Amino acid sequence: MPSALNALAAAISSAAVLYAAFFGAGPLPALGTAFNPATGAWTMAADAVISSETLHLAGLQQPVRVTLEQDGTSHIVAQTDHDLFLATGYVHARFRLFQMDLLRRQGEGRLSEVVGKAALDSDRFQLQLGLVRTAQFEWSALAPDNRSRLALVAYAQGVNDRIAQVEADHQLPAMFTLLGYQPKPWTPIDSLIVKGDMTYTLDFSDTPLVMALLDKSLGPELTAQWFPILPPNPQSPYDPGPYPGQPTVAPIAAMAQVTDAEATAAADVYQRLAALPPGMGTTGGASNNWAVAGGKSASGGALLAGDPHLHLTLPSIWFQLTMDSPGYHVSGVSFPGTPVVAIGHNQHIAWSETNGQNQATFFYEEKEDSAHPNQYFWNGSWQTYKSVSYDIPVLGGSTEHLTVKLSVHGPVITERGQTTSVWWAGNIPSQDLDVLLGVDQASDFQGFRTALRDWHAPSQNFVYADDKGNIGLISAGYYPQIAGGQPWLPMPGTGEYDVTGTIPYDNIPQAYDPPGGVVWSANQRQVTADYPYYIGTASNFFNPGYRANEIHRVLSQAGKLSAADMMALQTDTRDYLASEIVPILLQAIPNSPSKDLLTNWDYRMEINSPAATIWWTFWQSYLAATFDRYWHSRDVTVARSEVNGALGQDLEAWTLGDPTNSVFTYGGSSHTASDVMQIAFTSTVSTLTKQFGADPNTWTWGKVHQRVIENLAQVSGLNYGPRPDRGDANTPLAAPGFPSSEGPSWRMVVDWGAGTFQAIYPGGQSENPASPWYANRVDTWFNGQYAAMLTADAATSASGSKTWSLQP
Amino acid sequence: MKVVAAVILGVLISVAGVLVGAWWAPFVVGLVFGIVEPRARVAIPAGAFVGLLGWALPLAAAQIRVGLAPTAQSLAAIMGFGHEAAIPIVLTCVVGLLLGLTGAWLGSAGRSFLQPAISR
Repeated sequence: MPSALNALAAAISSAAVLYAAFFGAGPLPALGTAFNPATGAWTMAADAVISSETLHLAGLQQPVRVTLEQDGTSHIVAQTDHDLFLATGYVHARFRLFQMDLLRRQGEGRLSEVVGKAALDSDRFQLQLGLVRTAQFEWSALAPDNRSRLALVAYAQGVNDRIAQVEADHQLPAMFTLLGYQPKPWTPIDSLIVKGDMTYTLDFSDTPLVMALLDKSLGPELTAQWFPILPPNPQSPYDPGPYPGQPTVAPIAAMAQVTDAEATAAADVYQRLAALPPGMGTTGGASNNWAVAGGKSASGGALLAGDPHLHLTLPSIWFQLTMDSPGYHVSGVSFPGTPVVAIGHNQHIAWSETNGQNQATFFYEEKEDSAHPNQYFWNGSWQTYKSVSYDIPVLGGSTEHLTVKLSVHGPVITERGQTTSVWWAGNIPSQDLDVLLGVDQASDFQGFRTALRDWHAPSQNFVYADDKGNIGLISAGYYPQIAGGQPWLPMPGTGEYDVTGTIPYDNIPQAYDPPGGVVWSANQRQVTADYPYYIGTASNFFNPGYRANEIHRVLSQAGKLSAADMMALQTDTRDYLASEIVPILLQAIPNSPSKDLLTNWDYRMEINSPAATIWWTFWQSYLAATFDRYWHSRDVTVARSEVNGALGQDLEAWTLGDPTNSVFTYGGSSHTASDVMQIAFTSTVSTLTKQFGADPNTWTWGKVHQRVIENLAQVSGLNYGPRPDRGDANTPLAAPGFPSSEGPSWRMVVDWGAGTFQAIYPGGQSENPASPWYANRVDTWFNGQYAAMLTADAATSASGSKTWSLQP
Repeated sequence: MKVVAAVILGVLISVAGVLVGAWWAPFVVGLVFGIVEPRARVAIPAGAFVGLLGWALPLAAAQIRVGLAPTAQSLAAIMGFGHEAAIPIVLTCVVGLLLGLTGAWLGSAGRSFLQPAISR
């Protein structure tokens, strides 16, 4: 080959190899840094090996001992509170640095910087909504000697110690190398943003927009009837009163008519939220918790059970640890990125949380006029919008510029059709971390209740049980009250319908040592129709109540209860709705093998149950047979499946108590619930026969219903499952979806009488997929088993434990 | 014998570079080989060999020290190849080999291209 040609070929080949090594090619990352066998993604192999070691951390005041149990549970024993939080930051970062970085990026609208355009919608929305602004405000409001400020500073130091360590050792966690970026230093505001992410997940709702779209298409009359304030079905509120004042919450007499402009605005935001990438949007939250007083417990001590239902991911949203220092002796789970135990127990009290579900999001239509550019009319005069600008760096693209307009109500969320801003309780500064530090330190109900007084968002049902046999439940949070109007729809922003304050703390739903000896919450409406405050509509903010009803049914039975009973109830698959409806269905349908299966069914959604499949398919068919013609004839723009929970409550109520309701009338002739049930059942058998064959005994639930635990970075090859699993959306063992990717993210059972603390979560302590602690707890969780929550001393002497000696 | 010694030295330099994050070290070593060694048929295979060992030896050491199977499976999953552990291992070795090979080829080609000018 002529030397010039040879040189040209060598130069081109070298350039191609170096380009791929420096910058990557197509879907491949920069091959040089990513696959460097010593400092690239292969470092996950060494990271997966945990051994006892001595480490020197900048900022420590005294030596700290970290004991790692065989399953990865971490026990931090520090001689000062400062060191406890610093070491917590280090331990979190050691196992979850990439997750922490993703969480802060999600909240601060910087995901696009590392994953590209796919996250741009999420970034724009988060910056509009304002988690960063709220976090910055919360930080600036903390006094220099505030305990949570000190904790956040120490925690950030610990995280940064870990970042410095991996940078010095060239051992950056694999996902950073694969994505080609370095984590920036951690700040206290980052922790507040991570807290804000959870608030967003649990508290933000687009339901008024959904109601507006329903109103526009389905019509105001049916929307008012089918989506009422008070639940139409039988429920089990835990706080039955008496309440202060007289009932004032009236049914919706006449739903306001939604205009075209309002519907356009609602559709714009609704569609934007629906289009957010999986895992980056609001997912809501469900959960169970309850407590049994010492007098009703077999051990004589109070019992507590809690299982928050969240998106199940690998790594989990939870990290299990104990924190011991002069000021803290607490064990439970924390969110990586925050320095507190959110659910757990200390030496005297135990607590867990479920989502409160009250309406926390209100949409306001700003009145504008072309004669007053960049202004809105409020309280009798024209106000100028404030604005704040952001740059959003985009991997592989140009930086996006975003300007967010702010009215007195909050950020303008859309200017299509009707300029609409959003008032969201999550934007109220809420020192949740400080509150949780107070809870971590509380030793009795008074201290617990006092600590929760400053909790604003997300509203949470905090269940309580102590070592003296007492139990309680407080639905802590901000309950916005408005002067008037229809808060379940977007409202005029001219001032008359603004949020005027919250329900006084003494009047929010709560209970302490009730006569029945039990308290329970499962996202149901906490109070009865007599409660004198508006806290949200029944069907769109609160759970239909089937889990709560089932939990209440079991806890209310005669006899003493044990920790084993608590565990059995947490993993119970009895569908309360089925127990109500199936007996009526059996009266409506002719004899058949399918009917025989339902007749002998115990209403449990077990993997091997064909009756479970028949029931679930029937219920979907029954909903479709009742409501689809309305959806089709009126061209409803909200997917019916999105409001099935609400419609299901209506259908349940009509089936149980109003079987001749006009909703069943169609084709000009009168029908009853029984008629529609027959039609739906025939359809069910036909569908299942086509899907699984003619023998109903083979239609087992496990063929239909599976569970998957998804990798947080959405790498499907690192998921757990899908695998057949029991339960459904209505069972105490919650498993909504097909496949289900949400459910009990942590199960904890405390028996103060026996002195036992047991828990499990579906995941592992490490985000490293090569680590034995990546998914080591999942099978235990699937099997309904628990692990003992050891003290630090017990963990130190347990076999297989490793110890890190952290030195100043 | 000189070639063998040079290869050993090249491998040592490459491994040392790789260990501190200088993944491009085999390319540079290969480049030097190509420039110094007048015979392309020797320089280029030697460069490729140095590149391969420069990346494969740290990998082998990691396998001995901590085991690589779960990591290789995880990387395969991340790359979308299921759990085919061999793929990331082969890919890693190929990257090292290509770095050494292209470095040596470029050096050798540059030498032969520039040599007439130099000799004039």
